Amino acid sequence: MRTYSFLKGAGVFVLLVVLHYTVRPLIGARISIDFLVIAVLLTAVHVRPGVAALIGFATGLIADSLTPLSFGAGALAMTGVSAVASWLKSTVFGDNLLLQAIFLAAGKLAFDFVYLVAERRLGLGDLLVQLFLWSPLSAVATGLVGVLVVRIFRISMESRR
Amino acid sequence: MARATRSSARVDTVLLAACIVASLLCLVLPTGTRQTFADNIRQTFIAPLISLQVQAERARGAFIVRDITAARLDSLILKNADLRDMELENGQLRALLGLGARLRNGFVAAEALHRPEMGEAQTVVITAGSRAGVVERSAVVAPEGLIGKVIGTGDKTSTAILWTHPDFAVSAMSANGNVFGIIKPHVGADVERFMLELRGVAFRDSLLPGIEIRSSGLGTVFPRGIPIGTVVKDITTPGAYSRTYLVRPMVMPADVTVVMVLLPTSGNVESVWKAPSADSMRKAIGNSSDSLARARRDTMPGDSVSRRP
Repeated sequence: MRTYSFLKGAGVFVLLVVLHYTVRPLIGARISIDFLVIAVLLTAVHVRPGVAALIGFATGLIADSLTPLSFGAGALAMTGVSAVASWLKSTVFGDNLLLQAIFLAAGKLAFDFVYLVAERRLGLGDLLVQLFLWSPLSAVATGLVGVLVVRIFRISMESRR
Repeated sequence: MARATRSSARVDTVLLAACIVASLLCLVLPTGTRQTFADNIRQTFIAPLISLQVQAERARGAFIVRDITAARLDSLILKNADLRDMELENGQLRALLGLGARLRNGFVAAEALHRPEMGEAQTVVITAGSRAGVVERSAVVAPEGLIGKVIGTGDKTSTAILWTHPDFAVSAMSANGNVFGIIKPHVGADVERFMLELRGVAFRDSLLPGIEIRSSGLGTVFPRGIPIGTVVKDITTPGAYSRTYLVRPMVMPADVTVVMVLLPTSGNVESVWKAPSADSMRKAIGNSSDSLARARRDTMPGDSVSRRP
């Protein structure tokens, strides 16, 4: 049973990473669905914070490889978000749909905040617009899609003891 | 148990700290080194993902370009339609040149400016006026046949009524010259609205459908031999003292943009509307191109003159 859950989790993770590089470019809007954040957060709640940090770091590096000028910013943001998500685990959101959506949206928002500050590429005005307009909208979209993924694949958000 | 938990927490903290430090290091690495790291990751771990992303970007590009392509296609179709009009006009001009050569003299080439406003569908402005020798009651023809007659002239332009005008009338005959009558516009409905009537044909004469009707030359306006139309059917009403035939016109005025105004000196033009051979057409085009060019140059806004030698 544990093996099945692991394989299913790994499969969903890979699927979300693939979706990130196939569906997201198709949408191409300022409001983007971050499948990588969903993948990392859904994985993080099932592993220890250290492992979650490692997964986040690796995923962040993969994302950063396409933006060499901000190489490391994604890794830093993803590491932090993943570790925090792992610590929070199901004590905060459990299997409540709304709380799950808020959890995923908050994760995306936190990721964007750390990423944008760490990369130091945007000016203050653009940064504020991005943080207070586009990022919240993207976070909502990511949260909704994340909940959809949880429902479709019947992923339990309960932590493994 | 508590020790194991503390140990695990310590490991987690160390891993987290290591990851954060590694991330910060990546951030502060020299640009070249970062570039190298990124290249290596791109070429190894995520090469398949990048390939997928390229395909996705192409698909998105195709979606975006689809509208532009459709717009370009529409433009091409529109241009193609324009080309067709130009081809039509070119054909008309070539035919007119051939006609002009056969007429040799006694005509003025001009353009017909249609006025599409309501109530103006029966008249046309011709870009040749009295300076070009156009006089009132001159016949207006196209290579295919009769179009109308001039009812007013200015210095540089003239006004002509088309055969659709209620006041239009022309003395006509069958092509063999055996049957005579008067051509008037047919006041019908729908499809018959743009037809002609051959009135006043004697009861002893009869015309079969398809017989060509030409101007008879009786009177002073229309020279003999201009094609007008072909007989469609007998529409004589009971009790009438003469036969009336429905005639399909040779020329639909709306299709004509280049015309020739026959001057009173043009005389008998019966032989002009015979089908020319390719050779004579070529020769005619060559001979009369100067005449038309001169006429066009002289028309609006300049003068329009095509005088007899």
